[in-house]
Amino acid sequence: MLEVSNIDTFYGKAQALWDVSLRVDEEEIVALIGANGAGKTTLLNTISGLLRPASGSVEFLGKKIDGLAPHSIVELGISHVPEGRKLFTDMTVRENLEMGAYPYHAWKQKEETLEHVYQIFPALKEREKQLSRTLSGGEQQMLAMGRGLMSRPKLCMFDEPSYGLAPILVVEAFRAIKSLREQGITILLIEQNVRRTLEIADRAYVLENGRVVLEGACDKLLQSDYVRKAYLGI
Amino acid sequence: MDLVTILDIAIGGLLMGGIYALLAMGLSLQYGVARVLNIAHGEFIMLGAFATYTLYTAFGINPLLTLAIVGPIIFIIGFLLHRTLFTRLRISSPSPGAFESRSLLATFGILFIIQNLALIGWGANLRAYSYLNFGVNLGGAIFTANRLVSLGFAIGIGLAFYIFLVRTRMGKAIRAAAQDPATASLMGVNINRVLAICFGLGAVMAGFAGTLLSMRVPINPAMGMNYTIIAIIVIVLGGLGSIPGSFIGGFILGIIGTVVTYIEPSLSLAAYYFIFMLLLLVRPKGILGK
Repeated sequence: MLEVSNIDTFYGKAQALWDVSLRVDEEEIVALIGANGAGKTTLLNTISGLLRPASGSVEFLGKKIDGLAPHSIVELGISHVPEGRKLFTDMTVRENLEMGAYPYHAWKQKEETLEHVYQIFPALKEREKQLSRTLSGGEQQMLAMGRGLMSRPKLCMFDEPSYGLAPILVVEAFRAIKSLREQGITILLIEQNVRRTLEIADRAYVLENGRVVLEGACDKLLQSDYVRKAYLGI
Repeated sequence: MDLVTILDIAIGGLLMGGIYALLAMGLSLQYGVARVLNIAHGEFIMLGAFATYTLYTAFGINPLLTLAIVGPIIFIIGFLLHRTLFTRLRISSPSPGAFESRSLLATFGILFIIQNLALIGWGANLRAYSYLNFGVNLGGAIFTANRLVSLGFAIGIGLAFYIFLVRTRMGKAIRAAAQDPATASLMGVNINRVLAICFGLGAVMAGFAGTLLSMRVPINPAMGMNYTIIAIIVIVLGGLGSIPGSFIGGFILGIIGTVVTYIEPSLSLAAYYFIFMLLLLVRPKGILGK
């Protein structure tokens, strides 16, 4: 479904990604793991079009998307829920969700999609008319995830959805992500919480200093000495 | 001070304020959303005024109807200007600050071009026409009908714009782009197009203000600059980045201006500058600013 091939990405003159390749197949949950600054967010930003790779290519459903503007990539079916949530703070919960459904095909169905999202996150329906900045951290995270679903994406990319959440809400967030796969949505996930991530994902890529150092099925990675020492503290 | 005088000042202030509010909303769209401080803003007022003047005196078209002609034309000019010049500047500027200063300089260029084209086209003389030039009695104070009509239109346009921002898909896209352009683009908003639309809409508001002004004051190609300055003062007063703030700020400045004019007419411009300096020193955020 998504094919990232040998991309190099720069921030100005500083290189952040070296020869990174990645594959996500339909209905998989693929995880990106790595320390802060390893390049995980940069990779997601390159896929969603906020950044342009200096070389290499990104293909989605057979179509070349590197070099396209972010809004075109959203219309093709990729949704990026960014790091730090990036909610529209002056807009209400409902308005934020509506913005998620901005592409024409999604806008036409937005009432239906909204009902659907409210079923997954009932707390959002209660707070429909509240300004998004008045929500608690956990609710804001739910709103960000819900907003990412409003465009009816084929591929959903989450950048640290459990960041700053209390442990009980982390469980909720991961449960929501798992249920998304049941609805046929493919997921690419960045997470700090390595153990939980490897438990729900199918495959994972480990990034260090902008390069892929390890990849494979998650149950294998959970057994790997390297992963256990470096990321699971065992 | 009797009631008639108070009414005179209050309503007079609102009449002036309506124009200021329109002007300021337009500049707020351009600076607050598209991040272009458009020094040439007043030139679009002048264009709207002259377009209406020409359409009325040469073709007999009702000045209020010219709004429907002036609007789309100025929108296209503003949209194309942003889509070509300012989008290019935005992409090639190394930082938002650099973009702001470069686009400011570019608008100076646009100011000179538009003003001189107008001078060539219409000449430097004052022009005026008479429309709805009869008096209306409100509680003892007399106001010319064209001023009341232009207040009505200014409020109407303001309301229509508010509804546009809150209820429509494009309006929400504009609000989102104003807050966080990168995230808005992740929602599927075509940022280049939306910013150009905002710039175009801002120019249209100036054009409309020009049309309404032309009904009651004489116009000439150099008239724009004073209004640009007033618009800048109002957007600072109302709060940078707040469109409702500019709307309210326009009326406040209009009333202050009328009060000062009542006391000593030659001081009104000085009063505006004084308020501006006071604002920058005491509360740069303005009334509703972020």
